[in-house]
Amino acid sequence: METLFSEKQSLELISQMISSAKNRLQKGTGKIFLLWGYMVAVISLLIFILLMILPGENKYYSYMLWILMVLGVPFHIQLVKRMEHEQLVKTYIDKIMDFVWIAFTISILTVITGMVISTLLLQIKSVVVEPGHEFLLWFPWLFVTPVMLCLYGLALFISGKSYKFRPLVVGGYICWGGAFFLIIFFHHPHLLKIQQIVLCISAVAGFIIPGHLLNKKEQSDV
Amino acid sequence: MYKDLDPLLHSQLRLAVISILIASDEADFVFLREKTGATPGNLSVQLEKLKEAGYLEIRKTFRGKMPRTICKITPKGINAFEKYVQAIQEYIRPGQ
Repeated sequence: METLFSEKQSLELISQMISSAKNRLQKGTGKIFLLWGYMVAVISLLIFILLMILPGENKYYSYMLWILMVLGVPFHIQLVKRMEHEQLVKTYIDKIMDFVWIAFTISILTVITGMVISTLLLQIKSVVVEPGHEFLLWFPWLFVTPVMLCLYGLALFISGKSYKFRPLVVGGYICWGGAFFLIIFFHHPHLLKIQQIVLCISAVAGFIIPGHLLNKKEQSDV
Repeated sequence: MYKDLDPLLHSQLRLAVISILIASDEADFVFLREKTGATPGNLSVQLEKLKEAGYLEIRKTFRGKMPRTICKITPKGINAFEKYVQAIQEYIRPGQ
């Protein structure tokens, strides 16, 4: 059962088949965006509330809530497994995007674990700084949120442009905008609370809204 | 003189399969069947021919309890496809 055809037809066939395998977001991507988006949005909102209500130094312990992000890992693994299960084709863009998000996760973990270990070391060694320079002990923490938002922006922008899905690109711009805003206002007396609000807005704009739109798109594509 | 067209690729179904695999890292048998509109039997035969020529690799796995066939183009297949496209372009170049 072999059909021979003209040279022109063969070029048309090549072009038609290549475009049939063109890049589209993998089915199930929306759910992963929603998982992490809601986790970041809810935790940042909870921390904001705790920063508002807890007295004195105790309020800084509210940041421990970020440990709850670990709860998302088993769900993430389950969703990825299901995606792989249902995935019929893996394009080169899919492969590169996997690497981008792996690199994103490694970057986030590097920043967070590095900061946590450095803080623990300071506690263990009971580092004494010169009077008037105590801020050096906590100052780097002020830049963790902008750095994270820059990384969100990077991964969202690359994904959105690669898959030609504009909500992700817009989400990326909002995350970068949030990072820029937090850097220029880092001296604001309510910076810590503002950071949580900006983080929550970025999670909604960069992950939750695109996640819902992706789910809707998947349902209409079926 | 025109270059000879690779007879293995100058067949509608095999060319369709190779074109899809050129654009993807790997593709499932079901995907190839959906996109080419071929019958499972015919597609299996053509995939086997491409595999024998060393143009693609076929990996058998399971999706749950269902067997799954995943195809991936080889460097030899990419090379053959590029040569085929060059030859086609020479055939249809204006003035020749």
